[in-house]
Amino acid sequence: MEDFLIGLAPPIIKGILLGGLYVVIALGLSLVFGVMKLINVGHGDLVILGSYFAFAAMTWLGIDPFLSLFMGVPLFFAFGFLVQNFIINRTFRISLDAALIACFGISIIVQSLCQTIWTPFARSLTTPYQLQTFAVGPITISVRYILDFIGGLAVMLGLREFLRRTYLGRAISAASQNKTVAERMGINPNRVYSFAFAIAMACAAVAGVLQGLTFSFQPSSGPPLLIISFGVVIIGGLGSMVGTFIGGMIFGLTQTLGAHFSGGSMLIQNIVPFLLVFVVLSVRPQGIFGR
Amino acid sequence: MKIPRLITLIPVAALVVLALFPVIGVSLSWLNYLFLFFIYLALGNMWNLLAGYSGLICLCPHAFVGLAGYTLAIGTLVGVPFQVGLIAGAVVAALFALLISYPVFRMKGIYFAIGTLVLPEVLRVWFSFWRPVGNVYQGKGAGYAVKGIADITLGDTYWLGLAIAVASIFLVYIILRARLGLGLTAIRDNENTAASAGVNVFRLKLYSFVIAAFMMGIAGAAYYIFSPRINPVGGFSIRWLLMPLMATVIGGEGIEEGPIIGSAIVTFLTFLLAPYGAWSLFIQGIILLVVVTVMPQGIAGLLRQVGAYRFPARLLQAVEGRIYKA
Repeated sequence: MEDFLIGLAPPIIKGILLGGLYVVIALGLSLVFGVMKLINVGHGDLVILGSYFAFAAMTWLGIDPFLSLFMGVPLFFAFGFLVQNFIINRTFRISLDAALIACFGISIIVQSLCQTIWTPFARSLTTPYQLQTFAVGPITISVRYILDFIGGLAVMLGLREFLRRTYLGRAISAASQNKTVAERMGINPNRVYSFAFAIAMACAAVAGVLQGLTFSFQPSSGPPLLIISFGVVIIGGLGSMVGTFIGGMIFGLTQTLGAHFSGGSMLIQNIVPFLLVFVVLSVRPQGIFGR
Repeated sequence: MKIPRLITLIPVAALVVLALFPVIGVSLSWLNYLFLFFIYLALGNMWNLLAGYSGLICLCPHAFVGLAGYTLAIGTLVGVPFQVGLIAGAVVAALFALLISYPVFRMKGIYFAIGTLVLPEVLRVWFSFWRPVGNVYQGKGAGYAVKGIADITLGDTYWLGLAIAVASIFLVYIILRARLGLGLTAIRDNENTAASAGVNVFRLKLYSFVIAAFMMGIAGAAYYIFSPRINPVGGFSIRWLLMPLMATVIGGEGIEEGPIIGSAIVTFLTFLLAPYGAWSLFIQGIILLVVVTVMPQGIAGLLRQVGAYRFPARLLQAVEGRIYKA
């Protein structure tokens, strides 16, 4: 029994730490989904673009991935603002389907851009601290998973406080709760949407760095990430940053425990997250914690 | 004897000319392009039936194409003739649609879109770890080759593609003029109102979903007769979603001639931009964005708006008048 429990500890710890990565990836999607009721189908590709940006900064300029965020976050923020302002806000006037298809177009563009510039080979952000591990009692933990968890916690808390305390954050929450009333209170919803998308893009830049440190990536890795982050959002429920955080933990745990109990089968490890999303969607489409 | 109207004669003439292409020795590369055009057209038509007329933004055509392709490849490997494999592939795709219909129809709108997007990913993972038949060099990540089609010429596959494309056009034509089409458009416009007016929402959605899955399956299987090698990455590639989606949106969603115009443009662009590698998709993505933001009705919608059909219609009437007088 004791052996069983000790055997169980590494997957649980790894699952929780890995959950931090899924939280960062999902936060951008959660924000856009919560505010505009739009699933940004290109979100996974934008995260991968973030990974490639850090990769470019590392190979061309020799900057550490985390330091490259000082360039990446403002750039992604501006890019997101422009995309929302000039493309997605326009399509909202037509229909929600048009906005979905526009996001799809962005996904195609980003994916083919990555493929042209960086070729389809798998890359990863190789840094000295990426593969280091340290031991806590009988358990060894990788530094990159710790970084994932810290990153997830930091971005989640930062976003939560931003939405609660600043004027812009409150305007975003207001527009997501009731667009018409927010408009009467003097909030320009289109402008708020642009800022929300810009923040989501900034999150994608951070997520890109963490995901690049944890796993290898290639231009076509976007759609699986999109599905993972959608699963996290759906499990955690809409509009709640803490819910997203719990969703990420559940997701990471399902994956690592699934792998543990199936004896490390790659099939189980890869297929379980998708099945989880599908089952949750079909049983409770509004999410486990959703109303 | 009743004289047929010119407006019905023109498509028939076009069909005859297209069917004669392999016989009169049109170059092979042209047959290639046209075959792909037919496949994209069939997929686009079915996607239009789902998205444009039933309100189902279905993001899983690659599940149907991949399943049908795999059924064909595995079937021919164990000795089934490819004609049977073709039909079996379509049937498997339709059965898969039937199987997933209950869970996916519980999701509405945007949830439906993402729920269907999950399925091909699941299948891709499953097929990259699964080897039902064959030796170490087959199955799993390597995929299968389609056997028993050595004596099939490009002309035969071309005719097959043409038949599938024409069948898909007729299918949409008939469905839209039947009770099914009326019910579907009612569901698309307002599901609750349709249900309260006595439309069986679930059943009608199921019909259109299964029909579309069948046709997409047969189109996908036909593609794998043309290009007889399937693997998980290629079979469940997002390309199979991209092509019908772009063809329908660029041509005009919810308009019958939309996918025809759209898939012609998409095929043309694909080959025009082929030398530029990945830039090709980049440019197509930008065209998609421009079309969605500037002309949401697509090109066919724009043509209808500016009345581009009026002049040819008048011309036809004038010619018909002359003929009938004589």
